[in-house]
Amino acid sequence: MPDAVEVEDVTRVFEPRKKKDERVVALDEVSLTIPEGEIHGLLGPNGAGKTTLVKILSTVLLPTSGRARVCGHDVVEETKAVRPLIGIVFGGERGLYWRLTGRQNLEYWGALYRLPPAAVRERTRTLLERVGLADRADQRVEQYSRGMKQRLHLARGLIGDAKVLFLDEPTTGMDPIAGREFRTLIGELKGEGRTILLATHDMVEAETVCDRVTLIDRGKIIATESPRSLGHVISRFQRVDVEGAPEPVLGRIAALEGVSAVTRTEDGGARIEVSEEGATAEVLRRLVDAGVTSVRTSLPSLEEVYVQLIGERGLEV
Amino acid sequence: MRAFAAGFRLQLRIIRSDPDYFMPLVPVPLFAVAFLAIIEHAGRRDLAEYALMAPVLIALWALSLSASGEIVQGDRWSGTLEPGVASPSSFPAVVLGRVFAVTSVALFAFVEVWIVGRLLFGIPIEIHHPTAFVLTVLASSAAMAGTATIMAALFVLARSARTFQNSLSYPFYVLGGVLVPVSLLPDWLEPLSAGVFLSWSAGLLRDTLQPDAIRDVPLRLGVILGLGVLGFAAGQLLLHRILRRVRTSGELAAA
Ligand SMILES: Nc1ncnc2c1ncn2[C@@H]1O[C@H](COP(=O)(O)OP(=O)(O)O)[C@@H](O)[C@H]1O
Ligand SMILES: [Mg+2]
Repeated sequence: MPDAVEVEDVTRVFEPRKKKDERVVALDEVSLTIPEGEIHGLLGPNGAGKTTLVKILSTVLLPTSGRARVCGHDVVEETKAVRPLIGIVFGGERGLYWRLTGRQNLEYWGALYRLPPAAVRERTRTLLERVGLADRADQRVEQYSRGMKQRLHLARGLIGDAKVLFLDEPTTGMDPIAGREFRTLIGELKGEGRTILLATHDMVEAETVCDRVTLIDRGKIIATESPRSLGHVISRFQRVDVEGAPEPVLGRIAALEGVSAVTRTEDGGARIEVSEEGATAEVLRRLVDAGVTSVRTSLPSLEEVYVQLIGERGLEV
Repeated sequence: MRAFAAGFRLQLRIIRSDPDYFMPLVPVPLFAVAFLAIIEHAGRRDLAEYALMAPVLIALWALSLSASGEIVQGDRWSGTLEPGVASPSSFPAVVLGRVFAVTSVALFAFVEVWIVGRLLFGIPIEIHHPTAFVLTVLASSAAMAGTATIMAALFVLARSARTFQNSLSYPFYVLGGVLVPVSLLPDWLEPLSAGVFLSWSAGLLRDTLQPDAIRDVPLRLGVILGLGVLGFAAGQLLLHRILRRVRTSGELAAA
């Protein structure tokens, strides 16, 4: 059985349209294989090339060179075979007919996926329920919140009963609760044996729902990781923001093993950066002991995680 | 066929949700009143079919072209173009279905002029050749839809198409002999006029409303359909070009 997604040395160059524009290499010899049934994360900052790869795989954009296949079918030559197998969810609020209701939108897309009319109605109903829009189904999409539009998008991507789903930043604009429900939904889809490529710039999302995560930056693949090793890096390089911590306390913390930097922020607070797992706990204990309670931990930036992962492997950027 | 039907249904729903689409139908009764008033005043009731059919043909043309022009362009703005292209259905077939929906809505203008003629002027519109009339309406709608697919593509390819669409319509009303018979136009315009399906539709439609026998019905219907097919082929060609451009450049750039 062929892999669900095979990408071989795909390069995509955007030629400048106006003189002042620059030539952009959005994807630079990208290779990637996703076996059937896997949830694969494509993690990268803005402009990394995620959307470009998703578009190539969903047959709406041609690669400049290289080959890509979905379930063994070439995405350039065999679009007729590829299209019924895939579902696409592009992020953002676009991609829907705002003047129509949620139900009418789904009915249209269902018809485009060649379902018979009765099946369209039935699938529309179940999907609206599944994404929690059943009671708003007959309202116009223009009255939906961002998160509701996003959920309708998801339903749209699922209407064709796709074997392979391409989700491009599907949770942008969702509130945290909807985000959690989204993760549950992804789990269910995996249970149904579908393959999912999830493009995201959200490390935690990638870590929590994916079986494997490919890190991409400036069109190049940096590494493919298990979510666990990604999680290690994320928790190891946490940072702690404090307000009103006395200088001596900060000084002692800076000297702790595993604390890589303590910097003053403009508003008089401080940021403590940590580079070893467990060090955060020690930092927090010291702060609380010193009576400092205005403390917030946050995750490292994606860039920091990249630098760490690349550093560990001695790769060159 | 399912793609065509899906497009047809989608467009009807879009039109129903947006009163702007009906705007070209608003002046129809007013035109009809003005034209009929002139004819009555001149004592030329025999020209009533001109006064009645002109507003219908103008509405058909204006509504079909403007609304069809917005189809692909609108999909581009709303971000529905790419998912549409990536679906298993033929995108050009969907567009054709949507264009047909627009054209069928425009046929409502027939009802408007019938009401005006009947209620305001007491002119009974008698269709003396009902079969020919129905066939002409069908052929003209198909030809209109075929022609309008060009517009669907042109709005995307040429930024200026939208700006000129309105003023571009008037030469076609003249060439189409919509109000003034082509035979009254300067001679050199006649060959041009023969290339516009509207001129054949207008002539045949008016003939079906009057009692005299009509000549060459099948031939004239054939010409209407043939010109429609030409328009359709040109529109499809342009659409395919657009779709290829989406795939190669990543987005639709203006020409
Ligand atoms: N149609 C296009 N024309 C020119 N450049 C583009 C086009 N689409 C994307 N790019 C460029 O390609 C790069 C990758 O973009 P994209 O794939 O959208 O990244 P991501 O989805 O990871 O944010 C960016 O530098 C972007 O500006
Ligand atoms: Mg993107």
